[in-house]
Amino acid sequence: MTTQTLSPRTPGKPRSTMPREVVRRRRYGGHAWHPTLGTGLLPRVLTLLALALMAVVWLVPFGWGVDTSFKSEVDASASGADWIPKAGFTLDAYRTIFGQGNLPVWALNSIVIAVCVTALTVAVSAMAAYAFSRTLFRGRRVLFALIVASIMVPPQILIVPLFRQMLAMNLVDTYAAVILPQVVAPAMVFILKKFFDGIPRELEEAARIDGAGSFRVFWSVVMPLSRPILAAVAIFVFINTWNNFLWPFISTSDPQLMTLPVGLSTVKDSTGLQNAQQSAASILGSLPLLIIFMLFQRQIVKSVATTGLGGQ
Amino acid sequence: MASVSTPARQAAAGSRRPAATDRPRSAGRTGWLFATPFLVFFTLFLVVPLGIGLWMSFTDSSLTGHGDSTFVGLDNYTEAFGDSQVWETLGNTVWFTVLSTVPLVIISLVMALLVYTGMPGQWLWRLSFFASHLLPVAVVFQIWNMLYQPDRGMLNAVLKAVGIDGIGWLTDEKYAMWSIALVTLWWTVGFNFLLYLAALQAIPDHLYEAAALDGAGAWRRLWSITLPQLRRTTALIAVLQVMASLKVFDQIYLLTKGGPNGSTRPILEYIYDTGFTNYRLGYASAVSYVFFGVIIILSLAQLKIFSRRED
Amino acid sequence: MSGLSRRGLLRGAVYGAGAAVTASALSGCGSLAGSVASADDIQYWTLFTGPDGALMKTITRGVEKRVPGLKVKTTVLDWGPPYYTKLAMASAGGRAPDVAIMHLTRLAGYAPGGLLDPWDTDLLAEFGLKQEDLNPTLVKRSRYQGAPYAIPLDTHPFVVFFDRDVLQKADLLTTEGQLIPFESPRHALELMDRLRRSGGKLGPVFGHTNDAAMSWRMFWTLFSQTGATFDLTGERAEIDEDTAVEVVRFMAELARDSRTMDVQTAIAAFANGKSPMIFSGEWDMATYKSALKGRLGGSPFPTFYDHPAGASDSHALVLPHQDNPDPERRRRTHQFVAELVRSGLTWATAGHIPAYTPAVSSAAYAKLSPQSEYAGAAKQLALDPPVWFAGSGSDFQTRMCQALDPVFGGSSPASAVRTMVSQINTLMAQPNPA
Repeated sequence: MTTQTLSPRTPGKPRSTMPREVVRRRRYGGHAWHPTLGTGLLPRVLTLLALALMAVVWLVPFGWGVDTSFKSEVDASASGADWIPKAGFTLDAYRTIFGQGNLPVWALNSIVIAVCVTALTVAVSAMAAYAFSRTLFRGRRVLFALIVASIMVPPQILIVPLFRQMLAMNLVDTYAAVILPQVVAPAMVFILKKFFDGIPRELEEAARIDGAGSFRVFWSVVMPLSRPILAAVAIFVFINTWNNFLWPFISTSDPQLMTLPVGLSTVKDSTGLQNAQQSAASILGSLPLLIIFMLFQRQIVKSVATTGLGGQ
Repeated sequence: MASVSTPARQAAAGSRRPAATDRPRSAGRTGWLFATPFLVFFTLFLVVPLGIGLWMSFTDSSLTGHGDSTFVGLDNYTEAFGDSQVWETLGNTVWFTVLSTVPLVIISLVMALLVYTGMPGQWLWRLSFFASHLLPVAVVFQIWNMLYQPDRGMLNAVLKAVGIDGIGWLTDEKYAMWSIALVTLWWTVGFNFLLYLAALQAIPDHLYEAAALDGAGAWRRLWSITLPQLRRTTALIAVLQVMASLKVFDQIYLLTKGGPNGSTRPILEYIYDTGFTNYRLGYASAVSYVFFGVIIILSLAQLKIFSRRED
Repeated sequence: MSGLSRRGLLRGAVYGAGAAVTASALSGCGSLAGSVASADDIQYWTLFTGPDGALMKTITRGVEKRVPGLKVKTTVLDWGPPYYTKLAMASAGGRAPDVAIMHLTRLAGYAPGGLLDPWDTDLLAEFGLKQEDLNPTLVKRSRYQGAPYAIPLDTHPFVVFFDRDVLQKADLLTTEGQLIPFESPRHALELMDRLRRSGGKLGPVFGHTNDAAMSWRMFWTLFSQTGATFDLTGERAEIDEDTAVEVVRFMAELARDSRTMDVQTAIAAFANGKSPMIFSGEWDMATYKSALKGRLGGSPFPTFYDHPAGASDSHALVLPHQDNPDPERRRRTHQFVAELVRSGLTWATAGHIPAYTPAVSSAAYAKLSPQSEYAGAAKQLALDPPVWFAGSGSDFQTRMCQALDPVFGGSSPASAVRTMVSQINTLMAQPNPA
């Protein structure tokens, strides 16, 4: 596989931090030659135009949501495509939202649940991956084959039996019911094992000779070397959990336990459909991840690139 | 980071030589110790529900009645194979998969090719194309439900401005599934875009250099280097996209509830409706397993097709 | 911009936050296994939005003011299958809300399955709500194996609204301003022709296209008026199909000016004067009232066949099943519901007929127009058949409407009835999950 892979951060091998364009520009002696575009000016202009056009098309729907959230309810439900409302822009929708009190609860739930799922998933998956990568316990081959095979099982087909199981465990409408089933991520074990396999063993052996036990080796040698992949896995799991809809929707009925995606789409306002308020709530609900993305774009892009194909 | 790392190769060298201190017995214990937390979750929330589901599919288990259920043999499966709704919703699911996968692969590739040219504003392009992937489905619903409103929505207003009659985006059986596919394209294309972008960056420069020396133009380089180099990535993206599309539920449930007239109801919604709205957990489990079977057959078929093409 | 230091800073922040979060989360997630105990508020689920929702909010606030220490947290969910599915799942899970609104016709799908807990009528009486003060038809329907599982709040029938002026001109009103009686379906169709001639535009309208209830309401109203057999209690449906075909044919005739009208279009046609008469739920009364003002007249659904009847349902209050209900909380819930139902007069302003009979017979109610004119509908209720799969917002009603709708476009009534019967038998063949 030739896609980008994160390599272990072995000492003595400094990573190039130079942007690729700069590298290329130097290599070609400063000429504006590009592998896919060549030297012409016209292709560049056309490319830029195409990019701008697509970006606008992709941003307009979200922009419309933002725009609507700053309108009065009357303007927000008026027909047409007016970006500038007749009655002027207003913060009314946001004021109402903050007065109602459901949104902060859902946001908090989303944070608690996403953080718990991410922390648990990374912890248990990394430990299991290390076990499969480094130790020779009996049955590991069969178990690992089983785990890899289970990547094929879509969690969606388990909603009915899982709900039944939660009923039996008396966990329906609890945080545990939302969190625990989401921790099973066999693909992440697979990715992490592949990464651990690539870490040279010499470092661990040195630590062992110094008298470190298995857990200590894992924690202070392997973990620090694996920061990039752990971050990638964590980001990936966090985004997926934050936006997961189906299982939180099935496992919670109590509005006090709902996450943002579930609460926003199932609980209504008694005064009926209100476009401005709903848009304002939506914008607020999507801000956390968008801000995180703007700040950590590079890391997130890398995370998707490494984990998105399931480590293949 | 253009360098192609080869952890797998290193691993191959390493695994033949277990660490000196890994004596079999203590190593076995350590291994189990490290693997146990995951295995507990794996067993409790994957293996057990798979088993429960299989058992339930042979019973008349219900959401009500405090969990009493009786064994009904193959009745649920017989019913499922004769249930027109199962086939109809399965058909809708496949139709959605076709409608969504093709543009999701092609447009994400176009986006990645454009961004890879290194035009100024990389940060902005990546944000524009990927940001919608970070939106919760409730937000996607809110935005597109407004855009799709038949009499007041923005899309019909734009159509009207250019002299076309508005259409019932979500209320007309002819268009509803296309509208859903459009939303899905907008929402999730950024993910595939990033995968393509990473794959493009991994194409070794020397291929382009050699081609340039041979006098190949931009189009020629695209067709004879870039696209062939992306073949494996495309196959993987297509496979993953098909799998993801087959599991569609969220956006359809929120936008149309499967309507109009059941024309957009995917099989997962039928499972939800049967199990939770109509309480028939046993039958819903059977339908889940039928669907699972379809997914496995499709995955194996894809695997076969793509592995043959690889050779 | 020094990219390196910025990146370094960010990375530091990520690792710092990551480490802190991981540590706290790993210790914290374990202790979150229990549900968060909410405050003392009574958790109340409703499906009311729009004017109904606003009014319910007002009434709830009023009750909170009257009863010291009573606090109610209202949750509004999307009406229809999403609401009922969530309610069933919450009840099955045992951590359900304290009290919820349910359509009375859905009771047969909930009470037998143990999804609801019965009410304590003595306790309600203690708080001033006696069972004999409630509409007897609704009370009878609210029982399962003798126990009261629902407390009806109102009934919301399918009725008729008209423009007094136009009907007066067509001689369709009595001297007291009420609809003249119809002797037979044939007679009714003749009178509707007269109405068309004198109004010059459309006859009566009825919105049904793409709706999952209206065609069924119309059919069920007319069929109930015949008194013919419609028995779904046995193995297979026993339905007087000849009468059904006759009723369906009449229904299509009656609505021949609204063959492809959806609910909104029909409402608009009546509100802007294109049509002088509409068969409609009373819940759209406010829209008509603001358009027609004093000209608006209402009446229980006219009797075209032998027996007075109009399709109807009732918003009732139920106790979703809780595994370990707190007696004190249950007591306050009873008090809340007693107060709520006794606020019937306020509730009636939105159009629904209160189930609380003292409210209906009060002088203040008699002054409400057109509510008091169609209040007689509460005496001719045709509720859905009492089977688990029927009721408001059910798959049954959707299927019936899909079977009936082609008839308005001119397809054969006999084939519509055949489809209905076969759909009903399909539903009956499914095991009763409750």
